[in-house]
Amino acid sequence: MEFFGKIIAAGLMNGAIYGLVAVGFVLIYKSSSVLNFSQGYMLLLGAYIFWSFRAALRLDLFLSLILTLPTAFLMGILIERITLRPLIGQPLLSMITVTIFLSLVLEGLVSLFWGTYPLQQVNIFPKGSLKLGKTVLTTESLFAFGLALAVMVALILFFRFTRLGLAMRGVAEGHQTVQSMGISVKRILTVCWGIAGVAATLGGILLGGTLGFQLGLSHIGLLAIPAAFIGGLESPEGAIIGGVLIGLVESIVSGYVGKAAGVPATYVILIVVMFFRPYGFFGLEKIERV
Amino acid sequence: MAHTSFYPPSGIYSDSYRKDMRIVKTKTQWIMSIASLILLFMIPHIPFLNSTYSLRLLIGVAITVIICLGLNMLTGYCGQLNIGQSAFVMVGAFTSGLLNIHFGWPFWACVIPAGIASAIMGAIFGIPSVRLKGLYLALTTLGAQIILTWIALFYIPLTAAGFSVEPIKIGTFAFNTPQKFYYIAMLFTVVMAFFAKNMMRSGPGRAFIAIRDNDIAAEAMGIDIFRYKLLAFIVCTFYAGVAGSLFVHYMMWAHLESFTLNDSIWYVVMIIVGGLGSIEGTIFGVIFITALKEFIFVIGPMAEGKLPFLPIGAGSGLLLVIIGGVAILFLIFEPRGLAHRWNLFKAYYRLWPFGY
Repeated sequence: MEFFGKIIAAGLMNGAIYGLVAVGFVLIYKSSSVLNFSQGYMLLLGAYIFWSFRAALRLDLFLSLILTLPTAFLMGILIERITLRPLIGQPLLSMITVTIFLSLVLEGLVSLFWGTYPLQQVNIFPKGSLKLGKTVLTTESLFAFGLALAVMVALILFFRFTRLGLAMRGVAEGHQTVQSMGISVKRILTVCWGIAGVAATLGGILLGGTLGFQLGLSHIGLLAIPAAFIGGLESPEGAIIGGVLIGLVESIVSGYVGKAAGVPATYVILIVVMFFRPYGFFGLEKIERV
Repeated sequence: MAHTSFYPPSGIYSDSYRKDMRIVKTKTQWIMSIASLILLFMIPHIPFLNSTYSLRLLIGVAITVIICLGLNMLTGYCGQLNIGQSAFVMVGAFTSGLLNIHFGWPFWACVIPAGIASAIMGAIFGIPSVRLKGLYLALTTLGAQIILTWIALFYIPLTAAGFSVEPIKIGTFAFNTPQKFYYIAMLFTVVMAFFAKNMMRSGPGRAFIAIRDNDIAAEAMGIDIFRYKLLAFIVCTFYAGVAGSLFVHYMMWAHLESFTLNDSIWYVVMIIVGGLGSIEGTIFGVIFITALKEFIFVIGPMAEGKLPFLPIGAGSGLLLVIIGGVAILFLIFEPRGLAHRWNLFKAYYRLWPFGY
């Protein structure tokens, strides 16, 4: 029972971070129907940028966060401007493949500037532990969980109640309609990529704080993709639920089966879910008309 | 995406359907094709080109061409993105290797079962295409990569650690050096390329193109979409399996490290640079990317040595940045790939000096 509690706690904590990264997928998919396969590598680059501020330049934690997040926003914008903007009007397949190649470039940039070895550990959250019955939770994981949830709630509120959020939901509905109402689709897409970059970077920092800053961080992208798909690609709330689900599945399976079975198990579940509910649990069902 | 119907040389009239469908249309083309085939098989005897290094490269190109031909038939012709191709290569490679060491089957008996094993896996992961389209389907192939690699890592004894495989033999003659293996690799590549070219201009190939261009219209015209998508998956993974079998018998060593997600992405890069929906393009793309890779393998360590501020591993980073960057540039500026450039070049020299 103790083991089970531990597994559930770890699953929830990781799941919140997967959900955070998956929200980035959903944002981009909703506004431009492009699946961003490079989300995991945006996370990696963002985390490394944070590491540079925090560990290499030895800045204060908050100062480095304040410096990192605009950089991450800029990173998202640049990616959109350089690679996706010229492809508007091209088949969707090329837009998706471009994000796959982007992940090569981003991974290459990271190893070009920071090398392929894991970087020096940086502590982000205060050390400590909390006993909940027999389950021991580290404050690190609690902080990460809380922060991930807070960011997600902020994003959802942003979508519901701000003008920009409304415009983004409009863009997701249809480009022409929104354009005719005087909203610049290009600007919205840019902002979306920026926010996706920030969400990925936050996830990267949270994970880097617990797992260490290393190239393996990008594998979270591989877990956030199923999270976004199971939740439904159009729904931020779905992405979060999907993220928690994937986190739980991964941690239960790797806890009881072992053998690094967590990631493959999530993909098995993904394929099964796709087979019965192709658009995920909260996604929009597409009806084709000729 | 693909547009290959360029004008033939002047004076060639296609007054029947058979004539219009010919691959080789003129006497000059016949002479050039036969000459280049002879040249291809003469390379191990040509000085400067017959070093072990260049032959190794050419064998690598030949095997990768087979893999990418399959991928191009699925992605380029049928429009289904596959980002798990190297997992299917792995299935073929391990099937062939295990048959070889457990039952002592020679390569010639292993290669078809290897292809079939891959094709069965391809069919299993292609089945979700009944209901899934586009990027949803791409995801199941990503799943294939992850799940199949995991099974090979934990559930099949031997494959995780790697094992040695016998070379290809005819009688007692073993093709165990690049100089000897070259002929086998080229033979397979030429036959497979010819088969692919033929398949793509016959019924199934045209059905693939119809599905890629507009699947609803294709269905309305009576094409059984699911059947043809599944066929595309089966053909694609069969090619992967055969290439995998060739690969293990060439390396005489089968190991999981050779079949990663990154390899799968490289194959996609190759067909995009070469030209989606073009058999010649596949070959150009593989040659171009392989050459680029070799070039960076040379300059990467030099850069690391000359520029001391770069961290360890910067060479591999440079490789990724350049390959990924080239692929992105091709997608943006020449989405039809090198094959299109080649067709433009042919049109140019046919009209020369009267092109206007």
